[in-house]
Amino acid sequence: MEKKLCKESWRRLVIALPIAVLAVMTGSALAAAEEPTRDEYVSHLESVCKPDAEATQRAMKGARSDVKTERLSVAAGKFAKATRIFGSTVKKITPVPRPAADKERLARWFTDLRRQKSYLGQITAQLRSNHAIKAQRLIARFIHSGNLANNVVLAFGFNYCSFKFSRYG
Amino acid sequence: MSSVLRRGSVILAFALAALGLLITTAVRGERAQYGSLVVSLGGRLSPLSLPREHPAPVAVGLEGNLRTADGSPLPRVSRVEIGLPQQAALSTNGLPTCTRRRLVVTSNADALAVCRAALVGRGRVDLIVRVPHQASFAIHTQLLAFNARINGRRAVLLHAYTAHPPLAVVLLFRFSHGSGRFGTRLAASLPALGSWARVARFKMVLWRRYVSRGRRRSYLSASCPIPKRFTAGFFSFARIAYRLDSGRQVSVAIARSCRAR
Repeated sequence: MEKKLCKESWRRLVIALPIAVLAVMTGSALAAAEEPTRDEYVSHLESVCKPDAEATQRAMKGARSDVKTERLSVAAGKFAKATRIFGSTVKKITPVPRPAADKERLARWFTDLRRQKSYLGQITAQLRSNHAIKAQRLIARFIHSGNLANNVVLAFGFNYCSFKFSRYG
Repeated sequence: MSSVLRRGSVILAFALAALGLLITTAVRGERAQYGSLVVSLGGRLSPLSLPREHPAPVAVGLEGNLRTADGSPLPRVSRVEIGLPQQAALSTNGLPTCTRRRLVVTSNADALAVCRAALVGRGRVDLIVRVPHQASFAIHTQLLAFNARINGRRAVLLHAYTAHPPLAVVLLFRFSHGSGRFGTRLAASLPALGSWARVARFKMVLWRRYVSRGRRRSYLSASCPIPKRFTAGFFSFARIAYRLDSGRQVSVAIARSCRAR
């Protein structure tokens, strides 16, 4: 009886193993087929970033003069809108399949982007709380980290997906 | 004694490290890549602390770099345009001018001898020369900037000179004022560099104090117009755009901060 059971499980294993191997192979082949080249990746991301970058520019229009004239709550509203747009852009571009050779570099870039988003959120909060100096310090960090993020993906030649100070008011 | 020496060497090491960091930061600046061409621009305003309400004398330092990521030859630049913020006040009232004719085929010393009164800046330009069927080589030129007036409009004459190999080039940068973030523009066509020379790097500081009608003036002035509650402000500092021989335009802009005093 025991011998029969053992024989049965061996037969199942013999059938299941090639199927599993085939499935894994097909899966990795599909994944490889899905991995884009760097140019394809850049053009895909740029098409996502373009409308959002333009929306950011519209949302932030006059923010710097708002800060200059101490209308911090108005500026906070604009920063809040920019934060939402930035967050949604990062959310949209995160799941896009990445070129195999650039995965590590892009992972670093996405870390920087999340930091950027966090800074934008913090700037909004500090402006809302009327903490001018704290907001000012965070803006400096935001600009600095934006430039660092740009350097990580310099070779990609991004335009709309790169950080540009001029878009923020 | 040894502890004093050790402390001294530690301080020196820190100072050197800080200086190294400063130089690295200054050289790099912000970068942008177009295909394999990497364009960078660094810059600084000196002093950083400026009055909130009225402009004060400043020096503007700019440093640009062109290189290719894959080591391929640099493209030829046919035109360069430097944009500065509209708020930057430019004063040439009573400042002597120099003419191109007086600078042509002169060494640095000769150029200074004839136009020192019009000097508004100094710097350097590095060129890469590619002669067909020969290995490319670099030329490091010293740069002098002189105040000029062309057809009644303000301009800057850049005199680039090197003794090895002997080379003297005069470039005319015209000022123009327009709208936008970088309303003050300095633009020049670069045919004078010839077809074999490629601009690889430049460094320039514009600064001049002078006296006119008993008043001390500055060639460049700026303020840091921020509310009392803030101690620092951020602004679009400069933009450089190169037009390449192919007709393509590449540019990079930088933002900097100022402190209110």
